[in-house]
Amino acid sequence: MATYDFVFSSLGLEEWCNEGTSDAPMTMAALLKKTQGTESTPDSLWDLPFPSMDALNESCASFPKSRELTKGLEEGFLAIKDSLSIVLDPLTQPLSWFLDGALYGMLNTPWWIVIPLLLAVVFVVSKSWKLVAFVGVSLALLAFIDYYDYAMQTLAIIFVCAFLCVILGVPIGIAMSRSDMMQRLTIPVLDMLQTLPPFVYLIPLIFLFSVTESKLYGIAIILYAIVPVIRLTNLGIRLVDKDVIEAADAFGMTSRQKLYKVQIPLALPNIMAGVNQTIMMSLAMVVIASLVSAPGLGVLVLQGIRNLELGVGLVAGLGIVILAVILDRVTKASLARINASQKQ
Amino acid sequence: MDRDIKISIRNLYKIFGPIPDVALAYVRRGMGKAELLEKHNHVLGLQDINVDIREGEITVIMGLSGSGKSTLIRHLNRLIEPTAGEIRVDGQDVLQFNEEQLRTLRRERMSMVFQKFALLPHKTVLENAGMALLVRGFSVEEFESEARKWLARVGLEGNENQYPHQLSGGMQQRVGIARALASNSPVMLMDEAFSALDPLIRSDMQDLLLELQDELHKTIVFITHDLDEALKLADHLVILKDGYIVQQGEPQEILMNANDPYIIDFISDINRARVLRVRSIMKKTTEAPADSAGDISERDNLESVIAMSEGDTERTYRVMRRDKQVGVLEMKDLVRALVPTEGAEAQERVQ
Repeated sequence: MATYDFVFSSLGLEEWCNEGTSDAPMTMAALLKKTQGTESTPDSLWDLPFPSMDALNESCASFPKSRELTKGLEEGFLAIKDSLSIVLDPLTQPLSWFLDGALYGMLNTPWWIVIPLLLAVVFVVSKSWKLVAFVGVSLALLAFIDYYDYAMQTLAIIFVCAFLCVILGVPIGIAMSRSDMMQRLTIPVLDMLQTLPPFVYLIPLIFLFSVTESKLYGIAIILYAIVPVIRLTNLGIRLVDKDVIEAADAFGMTSRQKLYKVQIPLALPNIMAGVNQTIMMSLAMVVIASLVSAPGLGVLVLQGIRNLELGVGLVAGLGIVILAVILDRVTKASLARINASQKQ
Repeated sequence: MDRDIKISIRNLYKIFGPIPDVALAYVRRGMGKAELLEKHNHVLGLQDINVDIREGEITVIMGLSGSGKSTLIRHLNRLIEPTAGEIRVDGQDVLQFNEEQLRTLRRERMSMVFQKFALLPHKTVLENAGMALLVRGFSVEEFESEARKWLARVGLEGNENQYPHQLSGGMQQRVGIARALASNSPVMLMDEAFSALDPLIRSDMQDLLLELQDELHKTIVFITHDLDEALKLADHLVILKDGYIVQQGEPQEILMNANDPYIIDFISDINRARVLRVRSIMKKTTEAPADSAGDISERDNLESVIAMSEGDTERTYRVMRRDKQVGVLEMKDLVRALVPTEGAEAQERVQ
C-alpha cells in the first residue's frame, strides 16, 4: 500500500496500473530500500510525501518514474543527434581549422617573434609604453618558469574565440537594436546562456562532437562568452543620443549611413566594453574547457586537482591571473582611448 | 511686397495616441485638448493649423512649452507624420512623397538647426559642417572648401580641426548653423536654436542670423518661446497655444492689435520701446514735415528715437526708407504708443 493509492482507485484506473511495471533503471536509494525490505507506508501526516512521479509510481506501476523522464530526454537527444551532426558538423568545421591553425601558428613561431609581435599589438591599441613594459615583463616571467607554451595555447584559443564572438555578436546586437521583436526573442536566450552553469554546455556538446576535435571547446567558449558583446552592442546603439539621430534623419541619411556613420561610432565605447567582457569570459571558460581537452593553462590546473600537485595548480592559476590582467588592461586602455575621442 | 508662398500648411492635425483617427473625429466635432486626454487618453498635438510661409522671410512660431511648436516644425520635413492635413512645399504635397523623394527633400531643400546642437561628437567641426554634403556622397576633400567657407562666415575660422566638445555652446551652435547653410538648401528650420544659449550669446546669434538673412534671403522657420526673440527676428509671427493658432501676422501688427487675452498677457511685460518700430506708429505721408528735427529709418525702434530726441516731445521726425521719405513721426504719437493696448488696460481693470 502506498500513500496515493486512493487517487488511482477513485479514478478507476486500477486495471491500467496493474498492467504495467516500470522498467526504469532503479536508483541506488530504491535498491537499498528493497534489499533492506523496509518498505512501509508512512502513517502520520508528518511523513506525507509530495505527490511526485516516484511517489505516484509506488501506488501505480504504470505511472512513469522520474528517472524515465531524464532517460527519455537522453534517448530523444541521441535519436536526433546523428541528423543534427550532419548539419552542425560542416557548419562548425571552420572553427576547428581556426583553432588548430592558431595553436599551430602560436607554438611553432619562435618566441622571439611572437613576444615582440604581441607587444607591438599592445602598443598599437593602447599607445602606452608603460603597458607595453608591463606586458613584456609578465610574458617574460611566464616564459622563464617554462609556462610559455601553455600560456600561448590559452591566448591562441582566446584570440580565435573572442574574434568570432565579435564577428557574430555585433551583427546580432545591431539586429536587436533595430527591432523590438528581435530583442524580445533574443533576450531570453541570452539570459539562459548567461545563467546556465558553464559545465552544462559541455554535456550536449560531448554527445554532438568528438572530444578529439577542437571545435568542441571552441563552441562552448563562444556560447559562454558571446553574451556581453551582444547585449552591449544592442544597449550602445539604443543609447545613442536621440537628438543626433534626429539630426541624421533631418539631413536625409539613409538607414545604412546612419548605422555606419552615427550609430556604430557612437556606440563604440559600449561595444568595446562588451568586447572586454567577452575576452574575460573566454578566459574563464577556456580553463573549464580543459575538461573537454582544451589545451593551455587549464590543463595544468586540472592536473593539479587530479593528481593533487599543489604547486603546479597554483602556478598555473597565477599564470591565468597574469593573462587576465594583461587582457583586461590592454582592452581597457583601448576603450579609454575611444572614450577620450568622443566626450560629449 | 508680397512674396511667393514657399510652404503652405493646410488644416493640419496631429493627435498622439493608439487610435488617432477616432480621436480626430472627436476633435473635429469640437472636443478640447483637456477633455480628449481625460476621456480618450489621446494627446492633441496640433489642431487645424493653417500657415503660409513666404519665400525669403523669417517666420517665427512662438508658444510656451507644450504648445506644439516643436511638433509643428517637425511636420515640415516629416520627422513626424501628421494625422490629417496637407503640407505643400513649392506646390508639391510632401505627404505624398515616397522615401526617396523625402530623402531628397531633406538633403537638398530643407536643413535644420537643433536646440541641443545635435552635432556628431566623433567628427571634427569641419566634418560636422559638411555633414549635409557628406550625406550626399561627397568626400571630405570635395566639400572641405565649402565647409570652410561657411564656418568662416559664422565666425569659426581656425576651429575646423577641433571636436565639438572642445567648443562652447555658442560656438557649437555656430557649427550647427554652418552645417545648415552648407547644405545650400533654400529652407532652414530652426528648432529653438538659441534657447540653450545664455542671453548675451543669444543676442549675438540673433544678430548673426539677421545679418546672414540680409545676404542670403533664405526661407527660415524659427521656433522660440521667447517673445523678445520672436519680435526681433520675425517677418511673420505665428502664436501657438495648446496646439492651435491664436493669432498670426506681422509682429508689429500683433503687438498693436492683440486679439486674445493670452497674447495680451504675453506682451504686457515686454519693453515696448525696444520692440516697436517706427514704421508701425508713423503717419504715412510723403509730404515733408514743416519743422523736421532730423531723419530716422523706418526700421529704428522707439528706444533709439527717444534717445535721439533727448526726451523732447515737441519734435517731429522724417521717416525714411532707403533715402526716400515714407512717413512722419511725431514724438507725441510715440509716447502714446508706449502705453499698452486698450485691450490690456481693460484686462487689468477686470483683474
